[in-house]
Amino acid sequence: MAFFSQTSRQSFQALLWKCCTFWSVSRCQKLFAVSFNIPNREKITCLSFVTSSSTALPVDLRGTDGFPTKKGSEIEYEEEKGWDEETKEISERQVHFSSSVGAPKKQLMSQLLSRHKFTNIQPPEKPLQAEEWNRLKDSFRTPEIFEEVMLNSMVKCNSPIDVAKSLLTHVANSKGDIAYSLLVKYLALCVQQGKTTEICDVYDIMKIRFKILESGAYTLIIRGLSNSDQWRMALTVLEEVKKAMIPSRANYESCIIAASRHQEMNLAFELYHEMLAKDLVPTLDILQAFFDFSRGMKGAELQKELFGMLLYLRDNQIYPHKTFMQSIKQWFESIPGGKWRGHLTNIKDSGQCPVCNHQLEDSNLTEEDYNNLRERIIRDVIHGTDTYRKTSPQEFEAFQTFVENRLPFDIVIDGLNVSHINPRKIQCENLFDAINCLAKQNVRLLVLGRKHMLSNSPNWRREIMKEMQSKADFFFAENISEDDAFLLYATLQSGKHCKFVTRDFLRDHKACLSDSVTRHLFRKWQRGHQIVVFPSAGGSRINFLPAFRYDCVVQTTGDTWHIPYKDVFEEKYSFHAPRKWLCVQQK
Amino acid sequence: MQSVNMVLKKIVRSSVLLFAAQHGTKKNLFPLSRTLSLSLCLKQDNSCNPSEKLDLDAWKKVMKSGLQQEVSEMVSEHKELSSLAAAREILEMWRLAGRLVPENISEEQLKTFMECPSKSAKKKYLKFLHMKELYKKNDKRKMDEKRERRLEAQEQASGTAETKRNSFMCFWASSMDRVYNWRVAQSMIFGQPLIFDMSYEKDMSVREVTNAVRQIVLSESCNRRSVDPFHIHFCNFKDNSLYQKEFVKHYREAWGKLLITVTDQCYTEVFPKDKLIYLTADSPKVMKTFDHDKIYIVGSMVDKSIKPGLSLARAKRLGLETAALPLDKYLLWNTGAKNLTLDQMMHILLTLKDTGDWKKALEFVPKRKYCGFVSKPVHELKKTLNLINTLKLGKRQEEVQKEFAKNYSKKLMPK
Repeated sequence: MAFFSQTSRQSFQALLWKCCTFWSVSRCQKLFAVSFNIPNREKITCLSFVTSSSTALPVDLRGTDGFPTKKGSEIEYEEEKGWDEETKEISERQVHFSSSVGAPKKQLMSQLLSRHKFTNIQPPEKPLQAEEWNRLKDSFRTPEIFEEVMLNSMVKCNSPIDVAKSLLTHVANSKGDIAYSLLVKYLALCVQQGKTTEICDVYDIMKIRFKILESGAYTLIIRGLSNSDQWRMALTVLEEVKKAMIPSRANYESCIIAASRHQEMNLAFELYHEMLAKDLVPTLDILQAFFDFSRGMKGAELQKELFGMLLYLRDNQIYPHKTFMQSIKQWFESIPGGKWRGHLTNIKDSGQCPVCNHQLEDSNLTEEDYNNLRERIIRDVIHGTDTYRKTSPQEFEAFQTFVENRLPFDIVIDGLNVSHINPRKIQCENLFDAINCLAKQNVRLLVLGRKHMLSNSPNWRREIMKEMQSKADFFFAENISEDDAFLLYATLQSGKHCKFVTRDFLRDHKACLSDSVTRHLFRKWQRGHQIVVFPSAGGSRINFLPAFRYDCVVQTTGDTWHIPYKDVFEEKYSFHAPRKWLCVQQK
Repeated sequence: MQSVNMVLKKIVRSSVLLFAAQHGTKKNLFPLSRTLSLSLCLKQDNSCNPSEKLDLDAWKKVMKSGLQQEVSEMVSEHKELSSLAAAREILEMWRLAGRLVPENISEEQLKTFMECPSKSAKKKYLKFLHMKELYKKNDKRKMDEKRERRLEAQEQASGTAETKRNSFMCFWASSMDRVYNWRVAQSMIFGQPLIFDMSYEKDMSVREVTNAVRQIVLSESCNRRSVDPFHIHFCNFKDNSLYQKEFVKHYREAWGKLLITVTDQCYTEVFPKDKLIYLTADSPKVMKTFDHDKIYIVGSMVDKSIKPGLSLARAKRLGLETAALPLDKYLLWNTGAKNLTLDQMMHILLTLKDTGDWKKALEFVPKRKYCGFVSKPVHELKKTLNLINTLKLGKRQEEVQKEFAKNYSKKLMPK
């Protein structure tokens, strides 16, 4: 279908990919998009009804303003967005790795519609004369923004550069000046097609015409130049940006990748450290470029730097994606005389690597970290700005004495969460099943609930509650209190061996913690202590996913490295720990 | 007919050719296109007359030539800019690039802009200023148009210079004001108190405080115009607080003459505790009827960033009764948060006080937030909706039947 589209010269793969995205968008939406895009060309081609350029619109990967930004994860690996609206080219890499996960349909829709507001204009295929431009402009609904819209659609359709030039010439001859915004759009078109000389020309013109430029133009220029053989010029432009503002990480990315492509590793590392010093978070593409381009190179310094990057992944609990992992593996195996071998594997539940039989790091926190986390949970999650928001001081005190008198527990259960597991059964039966499963192993259980569970309603039968209370300790919080906070407190008070049972991801509680170090600690603790419940396929039984015994981060012993990685198609939430590993060992 | 066919054929052919030319490079995809594209290229070459040759780089010359004199000026003033001036420059460039940036910006706003902690905060602030500017411009334009219309009308009226005699008495705004003031003065003595809790200042950003104050001003004015006004109390009101500054900005010299009670005491010190009811959307209790002997408290807070449970925590701390509006009971809720603005609250409370009719009172809930009023209890409606959805989604027949059975059995059970 897309073969007949007007999007010329897009790579076949990109086209195919676009079709894929459009499969994911519902059919009616497709029709909607088409209906909004009745092309008003002089000659309506008979083929255009199959699909026209904008029905195969690339759904923008950067996440334009329409997309929600995921505030949940500490570090997002999405392209810089918003301010650099004009830069909407799709490189193959981004197609694979920075597609925004699960944008809600509704928002996608609105985005499509907003894009369609002014896109029903088809750029001409060859340069036009002044009078022809005038004619087109007069036939356009809103002549005052004709040039902008025209250039926008040229960028979208990737028109030949000469057409854009003829338009600019027309504008310059009629007005004697070209607006900055038009120049930026033209620049975007040049960058898209990699016309280096044009980029330099536009940059020169801009420099004499304007005192400083703004970030969008700088980003475009840096990207355009760094992809060419003039990449050193991009570095001088970067210096210029530094005078006016803090460069974005996309700027650094372009320069670093350009430098490492030309084997100027020291320069690349210099830039990398500079951006870290400016508190910019490096994109995964940057790190991947380092591993890609230092393949087969010798040098202790270089190795130290790259190991440092792996440790950076460790400290920030980042999991590389599949292709990045492949780059790491190939780099290891290419170290001259290093004798490294990499294998892909799944780690057993015991935490032993089947390839090298090495036992992975334990998931337990150090004493200091543990106490620190406990303090912070009490301070930030339970008390926060006002103790009364989640509980009340009296209630919390009562709970504290309750827990102190019965310590230590082995498993703490979030009663209400577990009771909703199987919608076909009434709630107290679900909880009863779970307690029975866990109580068999002769462990001390604590179940947290709310007072309404005691009211003998059809969902909470008194006789079953009685029986449950003989098997486990119960604590009932007020109906308007948060039971999760109690769950965390009781588990942490009981000590390191204590686990908790809930399906909740505890995202909101993690968000209460104010600094990233503690948040990482919290995640690590959660991975090592949370037992996730889920109903079995038939719904008759309850299954438990045990807590991780080993720590799910990049780790090394000096002669082995174990790196967890994600499949591209996996969800990328911070609470999903990957199950696949790369094991690298030195023979 | 034949001619039409011919035209159609031509169009098809040309479009195919054009298309083939565009994709001519991808020969592996279109084995057909090779010959087509070749022939087309030949055609194009022929059609391009040398006389029509465009100078594509003409624009560069124009740009550079027009700049020579400007450049000399530029060089002379190339000196180190202060940070403020530099920020101004950047803003100007952003404006040229077509971003949402205000045209004129004061020093104070510029400082605020530079103090913004992040890029996105800066962006938001600029957009806010830009929108503000647009509104201002539009208002001014409308005023001017109105003035012109009025002048025209006067010119026409001057032709017929007769004063119209009317048997009706004419009420002027000032006399209306006096009537309202009498009413409010009466309510100050005999009316039912309504409390605004002004203790949320530290939980809000500056913009949220200004919004809150604006909402309170609106609610005060609609209270003044009502038939039977509340006696408004501002409790926990600190002198020299941001609230006060904003109020003075709004009311100017009228601030001292407002017929409301402002106190820095807490409401628990002013009124008996058992009469107070704190209205908050987080409350587990739902208001059934409006009680004329109780004293309702409204937290004067705007939370753009959602802070759940803040006002409920206040009420819990003081051990007060709480209540939420029965939005779920009477409205089929659609989207949006269930916390309403202060002026909407005021309208709803006044209507309840006068009529006791929930349906009338809840008209003031924004229309976008609900689908309609309900006659049946909402949970039953929801069940029906679920059922319809399952039927639509085409679940297995037996499951639908099971759900049917379940719903019917539950209806017989007391809720």
